[in-house]
Amino acid sequence: MQGSRREVTRARGIRRFRRMVLTPMGLLIFFILTPAFLLQLYFSLNQFSIFAAGDNPGFLSYFNASEWVGFELYEAVFTDDKFGAAIIRSLLFSVGATLGCFVFGFGLALLMYRPFRGQAVYYLFFILPMLTVPIVIAYTGEMILYQNGPLNDILSRLIGTRVNVQFLYKQEIALTTIMFMEIWNWTPFSFIIMMAGLASLPKEPQEAAQILGASKLRIFWEVQLPLLRPVILLALILRFLESIAEFPKTYGLLQGGPGSATETLPVYIFLNTWQYFDISYGAALSYVTLLLMMTIVYGAIWLLRREKRNLDAIYTRRAAEGAS
Amino acid sequence: MALTRSQKRTAFATVRHAILIVWLLIVAFPIFWMVSTSFKPDREWFAWPPVYISDDSTLDNYKIVWAGQSEYTEHVQTQSLQRPWEALGNSALIAALATTLAVGFGSVLAYGVSRHNILSEGRMFQLLMLRMVPPIVVVAPISIWYAFWGLLDSVFGLVVLYFLTTLPYAVWMSKSFIDEVPREVEQAAEVLGASRWQTIWEVVLPLVRSGLVATFLFILILTWSEYLLALLLSKTEVVTLPVELSKYQGSTEGRVYGRQAALAVGITLPLILVGLIIRKHLARGFSFGMVRR
Repeated sequence: MQGSRREVTRARGIRRFRRMVLTPMGLLIFFILTPAFLLQLYFSLNQFSIFAAGDNPGFLSYFNASEWVGFELYEAVFTDDKFGAAIIRSLLFSVGATLGCFVFGFGLALLMYRPFRGQAVYYLFFILPMLTVPIVIAYTGEMILYQNGPLNDILSRLIGTRVNVQFLYKQEIALTTIMFMEIWNWTPFSFIIMMAGLASLPKEPQEAAQILGASKLRIFWEVQLPLLRPVILLALILRFLESIAEFPKTYGLLQGGPGSATETLPVYIFLNTWQYFDISYGAALSYVTLLLMMTIVYGAIWLLRREKRNLDAIYTRRAAEGAS
Repeated sequence: MALTRSQKRTAFATVRHAILIVWLLIVAFPIFWMVSTSFKPDREWFAWPPVYISDDSTLDNYKIVWAGQSEYTEHVQTQSLQRPWEALGNSALIAALATTLAVGFGSVLAYGVSRHNILSEGRMFQLLMLRMVPPIVVVAPISIWYAFWGLLDSVFGLVVLYFLTTLPYAVWMSKSFIDEVPREVEQAAEVLGASRWQTIWEVVLPLVRSGLVATFLFILILTWSEYLLALLLSKTEVVTLPVELSKYQGSTEGRVYGRQAALAVGITLPLILVGLIIRKHLARGFSFGMVRR
């Protein structure tokens, strides 16, 4: 009897604790994010005009200077070729950057995960790119990549003829160049995740396979790789989502140019809203992008949860076997 | 000509070192170039062939950027528009406040989730939305909303947003440390008559302290280097370092590589130090409980 009463007070305490912790977060979201999304909706349905707003728009003049247009702007978004191009560009960029980061990161991790002399020193250097601020990488990248910069010089010396590539100002390759900067920046991310993943692999299955006479390659494909699947998915998904949102390098360095070669989704939205000052069209673009991203993120979360549940099941089973 | 086992092993070790050294060069070169450019006099910034290590290294870039020395000493004294120290102060203040909030709040939340399941696993994953939806899609209406409340160009405005966007990582990362503390420890403390707060404060906290420090520094890296929100929500008054750096680009002076590099070194150095301190824990920040030991 007494035990159950204690249970009740305990449960009440936990409820109070829960309220205490979640209320401030709820308030912040309610007062900052919700109004923002509502405003966004308003402006995507009402055409705002910078001319009607005057020189120094106050909060209310935003509303006075806009006029109901219904779903016209959304129609415009869906027939906007530049928007479609931006989506394709963003996807190409993100897929390329994600795979690049993963291949280099996983490759390095495979070479390094067993202890050897100098491991710590390599590790120390290899995580450095992740710790340099993205905008710093963008500007340093420009110093290295511009026409008379060291990269052209090094290539010239290696090949023996004068190499003269405009890495950043040639339409065909600008996006690829930025992609490689992104890969340089974030390979450490995949690298440390894969290092941790490889280090955490249980030894017994590998040893068992070895005793059974499996080759190293086969052990890798059939034992290690399946066990690594959750970690691999994690490395791919997180990198993909972050590189879709990439902004400092594409905008900070090239503002979407040359031409519109680096106009990825975030840059396109940015240009419409803050450069052409078409707040309403930017809002419609943002809403469509938001829905697109929500779909992708929900898919990603679904995948991650499934993997995590599998993993939890494996570990509870192992713990139970260990206990019995 | 079959190789013996030990020969094979040496061959592998050599190839491995060769590959790793190539990658080391790729990683180190941009950082080297940034540092070396920051010591170059202005005529060497655009020289062809490029100057790798300047023969007459100079501290001028640092003096002009960080000590406010005038660029044209013989000519008219012009007050520089750039205020890097102010930007440094803003960056430090904003990053410190937002990080403290995110980790303080996030770790309490993480404790609740770890011990009392106050958020279901589904909700925990939904929390990630705050981080994974690109901020560009809401920053415009937020700026209008902020303008209404006078929060544009304010420390508070940025701190709130940084807090919200880093919270998911703070919760997930600190949870991974709290999960490692066995429940038995707490039960033992309770049996010995400790109150709940005593248990948390005197038993759990000391055990996860190093983990929370790692979480703190990890979030600090994220807030310190944030660019988009800082650029759009606080351009003129409360400038942070990444935005300050972009002010040395373009404009009327043309490209000023040396100055940029000197400022960039100042921005990057603290971050690298922080990162190297927590290098063992970096993987935690992203792993969402996927990496076990």
